[in-house]
Amino acid sequence: MNAVIRTEDLVKRFGHVTALDHLNLEVSQGETHGFLGPNGAGKSTTIRVLLGMLRSDEGRAELFGADPWKHAAELHRRLAYVPGDVALWPGLSGGETIDLLGRLRGGIDKAKRDELLERFDLDPRKKGRSYSKGNRQKVALVAAFAADVDLLLLDEPTSGLDPLMGAVFNECVKEASAQGRTVLLSSHIMSEVEALCDRVSIIRKGVIAESGSLAEMRHFSRSRLRATLKNPVRGLEDHDGVHGLKTDGLDVECDVDTAALDDVLAQLAVAGVAALTCEPPSLEQIFLRFYGDELAASGVTNGEGNGS
Amino acid sequence: MTTAAAEIEDGLGTLAGTGKLLRFYLRRTRIFLIGWLGGMFAFSALMAVSLPELYPDAAARAEGAALLDTPAMRFMTGPSQYIDAYGESVGAMFAHQILMWSLAVTGVMFILLVTRLTRADEETSRSEVVRSLPVGRRADLAAALLLSLIAAVALGALITLSVMGLEGTESSQAVLYGSTFTATGISFAAITAVCSQLAAYSSTANGLAFAVLGFAFLMAGAGYAEGSWLSWLSPIGWPELTYVYTPEQRWWPLVFAAAVSAALAWLAFALVAKRDFGAGMLTTRPGRAFAKPGLRSATALTFRLTKGMLWTAVISMLLLGLAYGSVIGSADQFLDSMSETQQEVFTRGSSAPPEDSFAVTVTQVQAYIALIFALLVIGRARKEETGGRGELLGSSPVARSGWPGSYFVAAMVNGTVGTLVGGLTLALIGAASLGWDTFGKLTLASLNYLPAVWVVIAAAFALLGWVPRFGALRWLLWLYVFVIGYFGSIIEGMPEWVGKGSPFKHVAEYPLEDMDWPAVAALTAVAAGLAILGYVGIRRRDLHFS
Repeated sequence: MNAVIRTEDLVKRFGHVTALDHLNLEVSQGETHGFLGPNGAGKSTTIRVLLGMLRSDEGRAELFGADPWKHAAELHRRLAYVPGDVALWPGLSGGETIDLLGRLRGGIDKAKRDELLERFDLDPRKKGRSYSKGNRQKVALVAAFAADVDLLLLDEPTSGLDPLMGAVFNECVKEASAQGRTVLLSSHIMSEVEALCDRVSIIRKGVIAESGSLAEMRHFSRSRLRATLKNPVRGLEDHDGVHGLKTDGLDVECDVDTAALDDVLAQLAVAGVAALTCEPPSLEQIFLRFYGDELAASGVTNGEGNGS
Repeated sequence: MTTAAAEIEDGLGTLAGTGKLLRFYLRRTRIFLIGWLGGMFAFSALMAVSLPELYPDAAARAEGAALLDTPAMRFMTGPSQYIDAYGESVGAMFAHQILMWSLAVTGVMFILLVTRLTRADEETSRSEVVRSLPVGRRADLAAALLLSLIAAVALGALITLSVMGLEGTESSQAVLYGSTFTATGISFAAITAVCSQLAAYSSTANGLAFAVLGFAFLMAGAGYAEGSWLSWLSPIGWPELTYVYTPEQRWWPLVFAAAVSAALAWLAFALVAKRDFGAGMLTTRPGRAFAKPGLRSATALTFRLTKGMLWTAVISMLLLGLAYGSVIGSADQFLDSMSETQQEVFTRGSSAPPEDSFAVTVTQVQAYIALIFALLVIGRARKEETGGRGELLGSSPVARSGWPGSYFVAAMVNGTVGTLVGGLTLALIGAASLGWDTFGKLTLASLNYLPAVWVVIAAAFALLGWVPRFGALRWLLWLYVFVIGYFGSIIEGMPEWVGKGSPFKHVAEYPLEDMDWPAVAALTAVAAGLAILGYVGIRRRDLHFS
C-alpha cells in the first residue's frame, strides 16, 4: 500500500529546543491512524511540518510522495486540516468562513455542507467572535468534512465538543474512512482512538515510541486476569510473566504478560477454574506504560498499566 | 455572618464590594494609566514650551491668527473667540492649536479604559469569577467609573501642572485648562459605560463609543466653523466652549458637561441592573449564512479584513488635504507669521514662490501620514498569522504569495489611495484659491512621492518576510524617514550620508525643482526589488502560531 504520510528521521528545532528528534511516521492510504502523545510531545509540530508551515531541519517528510514544504499549496488541495484550537475571524460568520475555506479548495458541496451543519447542530449565521470554543471547533470540522479531499489531518479536533457531538464526529470519521480517505487523528481521548483507528503511533519527546495496530500493541502488554479457583494454586508468584499477584483464598488477581498467558492458564486449569475473566489492556494502559517514568516523576505511581 | 453579607445587610446591596474591586482595577490598569497619563503630560509640557516659539511676539501671533480664521481651520482647531485673543494671550493661541485634538485623544483614553474594565471583562468571562464572589451587580461598573473619575482628576492635575509656565497666564486659567481634560474624561467614561451596556462585545462597545467620539469631533468642528450651536451637541465642544485663556473665559460649560455625564452614568447603572450577565441591550445582528460570491480567495479575504483601515486612511487623508489645501492658498501670509527656524523648514532655504516650497513640504508630510495606515496594514498580516487564524489559511491550497503575501498588495493599495486622496484634495482646495492652473502642479507634487511611499511599504514587507519577530522595526524606519525628511535640513552637523537612506531624499523637490523622472523609475525599481525580496522571505520562513 502507498504511504500517504511518511517521515524519515525528521528533525525540527526551535532554537535550543529539539521538538522533533528523528521522527519516523508512516500512514498508509485509506488508514485511520491514531497519533498519541502528551502535550508538548511534538504532535502539532509534526502536523505543521506535514502542512508545510514549518520547515524541517533534517530528514524527510513526504505527503502523497511529495515534499510538503515545496509543494504546500498544491498538496493542500488534497487535504483538510482541523487545528486543536480554532481561531475564527471575529467579523466573519461561521457560514462565510466555511464557504471561504471550501472555495479556496476549489468549491464546496452545498448539500454536504448543509447536511453537516444540521448534524453538528451549528448556526452558520453567528459571527466568529460569538461562537463558543466547541462551536468554533465545529466550524472547522464542517469545513473539513465537507471538503472533497484524500487526507484529513485532525489535531485534537474534539476538544471542547460535548459527548453527543463527539459521537457525530466519530460517525463522520468512519464515513470518511469508508470513502477511502486517509485520516491522521491526534487525540487525548483514548476511547475515540480505540473506536476509530486501525493503527496507532505513540510519540514521546519528539520520537515515535511505538507504532502498530492495536492488536500488535496489546501483544506487548499485559492482560488483567481474575479467577476463582477450585483448589489453591502454587508457583504463580515465581512465574516471570506474572505481576502484581493478589490471592484471597481461592480468588486470584494478577497482570499477565501476553506471552505467558497460555502457561498461566494451563496452571490455573490444573487447579480447576470456577470463574475466569481476562481483560486485554486498554489503549490507555498501553499509553501510560510508555510514560511510566514521567508519571513517576510527577509523583503518580502505578503507571505500569495495572489499570484501576 | 460574613463581612460581605454584612455589607449587603448594611444597604450597599448591588454595590457591595465596590471598594475592593476599585483597588483591584487600579492594580490591573496601573501600566495603562501610567503610560497614558505620562504621555499626555509629556506631550502637553513639550507643546507648552515649543508652541509659543512659533511666534516671536504678540504682533506675529495676531498676524498668524488672521490666517487661521477660515472655516476649514476653525473646523480643525476651535472657535474664533480664541483666534480673536491670539494677540493678547499666548494661552489662547496654545489652547486653540492643541485643545481640540488633545481632548479627542483624552476621549480615546477613557473609551479604552472603561471598555476594558467593563464589557471586555464580561465578554471574556473574567468578571464571571468576580461576580460569583460576594459582589453586587453594579459593583464592577461603579468601580470602573470611580477609577475613571480618579484618572480624570489626575489627568486634569497633570495638565494644569504642564501649562503653569505659559507666559503671561494666571494659575486659575491653568486650572480651568486642566479641568477641560477632566470633564472630557468623565464625559467619555460615562458615554462608554452606556455603550458597554448596549453592546454585547467589547469591539462593538468600542465601535459605538468611537462613533460618538467621531460625531462629537465633527459637531464641535462644524459649530466652530460656522460659529453655530452645533458645538453644543459635542462632549468635546463643551470644554472648549469655556474659551479658556481668552477674555471671555467661563466655567459653566464644564458644569453642563458634568450634568450630562451624571445622567449618562445613571442610565448605565439602570441598564446594568436590567440585563442578564453577558448580554447586551442591542440584539446582535446575525451574519450571512453564506459568503458573498466575491469572497473566494485569500486576497479577497485580506481586502475584506483591511477595508476598515482603508476607510480610515481615506477619511484621514481627506481631512488633512482639506486643512493643508486651505492653508496653501494663503501660503505667503502663513510664512510671514512664522519664526525663522520654522520658515527654514517650510521654504527649504529657497526663494521660489511660497506655495511651491509649501507644496513640497505638505505633500511630503501627507505622504508620511498616508504611510502610517499602510504600515498598519502590514502589521495586520502578522497579527493574522500569530492570532491562530493563519492556521486555517496556511492549511488551505493558498500559496504564500496569496497569504500572507496579499497583505503587501493591500498595504500598497492603502498607501497609494491615501496619498492620492490627500493629494487630490489638497490640489482641489489649493487650486480653488490659487487658480486652476496650479491644480496639475499641486497634484503632481503629491504623486511625486508615491514611489518613495512604495519603497517604505515594500521594506516593511521585507521585514515581515525575513525578521517577522522584529516587524516593529518598520516604525523605526518610518520615524527615520520622517525625521530626515522633516527636520533633516535643520539638524546641524548631520553628515549628508545619514539622510541618503531615506527614499524621500532621492525625490526631486517638485515644484521647486524639475521632476526627476529617472529617480522616480529607480525608486519604483527599488520598491519592486524589495517586494520580491519580501515574497522570497515569506516563502522560505516558518509560519508562527501562538
